[in-house]
Amino acid sequence: MKGVFGARITAVALAVALVAAAALALFAVLGANGAVARTGPLTVHAGLEAPPSPFVRANGLYDGKGGKAQLEARISGAMTGPLSPVAVKSGDGKLVVYNTWHELRAVDGERSFSAQGIGDGDVLGVPELRVYDGSGHDELLARGAYSAAWRADGAIAFVEATQPEFRAGGNYEGRVVVRQSIRGRNVAWIKEPAHYVVYGWAGDRLLVYRVGLGEKLELLVADTPGRVRPLADGSAIALSPDATRVAVLDQEATNVRVLDVATGRELAWLDVTTATPALRWVSYSGSWAGDHIVTPASAGLAVFHTGPSSLELEQVLSLDRAQFPVGVQQPRFADDDGNDISATVDIPPSASGGAVSFFIKCDRITRSCERGAAAPAKDWLRPVEQEGGTP
Amino acid sequence: MRARLAVVATLAAVALTLPSPSLAYPTWFEFARHSNTFSTLTMVWQIGAGWYGTQSWRAGSGVSTDACWVGHGWLPTGYYDLKGHWDNYNAAIAGRVFYLQDKQCWNGTWRTQLFVHSEETAAQGQYCPTAGDDPYCWEGDNDYYSNGCIKLARGGNPSDLRLMHDGWHAKSGDGRHGNFTIGSWLYVHD
Repeated sequence: MKGVFGARITAVALAVALVAAAALALFAVLGANGAVARTGPLTVHAGLEAPPSPFVRANGLYDGKGGKAQLEARISGAMTGPLSPVAVKSGDGKLVVYNTWHELRAVDGERSFSAQGIGDGDVLGVPELRVYDGSGHDELLARGAYSAAWRADGAIAFVEATQPEFRAGGNYEGRVVVRQSIRGRNVAWIKEPAHYVVYGWAGDRLLVYRVGLGEKLELLVADTPGRVRPLADGSAIALSPDATRVAVLDQEATNVRVLDVATGRELAWLDVTTATPALRWVSYSGSWAGDHIVTPASAGLAVFHTGPSSLELEQVLSLDRAQFPVGVQQPRFADDDGNDISATVDIPPSASGGAVSFFIKCDRITRSCERGAAAPAKDWLRPVEQEGGTP
Repeated sequence: MRARLAVVATLAAVALTLPSPSLAYPTWFEFARHSNTFSTLTMVWQIGAGWYGTQSWRAGSGVSTDACWVGHGWLPTGYYDLKGHWDNYNAAIAGRVFYLQDKQCWNGTWRTQLFVHSEETAAQGQYCPTAGDDPYCWEGDNDYYSNGCIKLARGGNPSDLRLMHDGWHAKSGDGRHGNFTIGSWLYVHD
């Protein structure tokens, strides 16, 4: 009997030891590869030494390693805001196309047009697209143009205005064109004049916003020149890495859907107001890496997990609204594991100072962020988007 | 007969020379940004030197408080001209609408095609075909959210939209509709 008991005790002890060892190993693995991502507040402190590279600010193109190239014109997203990137690098990495605003009349934003003697039809400025080639050559791509996206083969899409000048009291309308190369001829992909913003390429398909009355956003797909179809009422959060799916957001900024770009078929759907934790809203211009999507949210940042036909809110990273009153813009996954997130933070003007922007980089596992140096918001401190122009 | 015509003509001529309407005040609006769904739109009319009348309503704008966020943030601060007013606007935004000038936010982004409006049909009615959020139907407080426009409630009788609309015509004495400009018609501030 005693021998039997002894054997049993030894077996139980061995089993306990194995379970403990397995638990320790699992804990070590989870801790090492960052699989534990929990909802909670982000802590932000100064000290970001490596901003997203490359990036732009005012009339500078920075490589993030101390190098700066001088651009011919100042960066400006005046025509797009965060709907599309202000600067995009071509697939071969040789060219950067950037948005500018050629001001022809200074406008005081606090005063009305009439109080400044600005009448209907008065020219205020011209948006322009320029291309920098890395060797110091900077040339005008198009006047009266904005929101560019490179296709993998080097073709470039953008909006070309019907009349280049932006005028007071008018509607700034244009068409969407594609050039096979920067000096190629314009081929109209969307001819009907309207207020468009190019979002990016999904393979050989072009995703474009139509901005309507009240800034109502509608996402369109141009499959080929002249063949355009509506994809979603609302905006785009992110395109999947294989460019076959797009996460879109409805007008109320509460319902996220994943759509098949080729067919428009809905693959997954989530109402963030009833998710756990619930969010008041999420916004457009996030990013998608692997199975994860990150996007701005009412609390700060929302990270979704996607499957072939599923969509879950995996993590909410909240920011102190006193420090970051308007949250973040255009968050991007900054590493292959999808654990690091970089974004731009804007701080609106206040009694204590003018509006500023800075980069933050956050580890979503430790929920800690580093922030970079602040720049005036009108300098348009933004990362340069990489190949394809897919924001 | 000739005498009657002469009287009518005289009365018409007198009517044309009278100030019309008799109670027309310099009138404008102020939008005080508090939150996206609980801000205040105030109509101000100047009765005399230093003497003002006011009437206020709850109003909303945007989903976020970032005025540089196209199609998402609330209206930038500053003075706005009115570009036009319609009673039966028939588009994505419909019914009684007031069209505002374009405005740059603090980083230079243009905010465009913005209105003061509510959720009603071109005929100023309500169209509520689904159990969800219908664009021409005022369901409740969530309808104060917008892509940037200032929105007033269309619920109740009279609705805030009607009070604002009728109040504008009554106080300003301005009965115009369509495209026209009124300088510094709206002031947006925190």
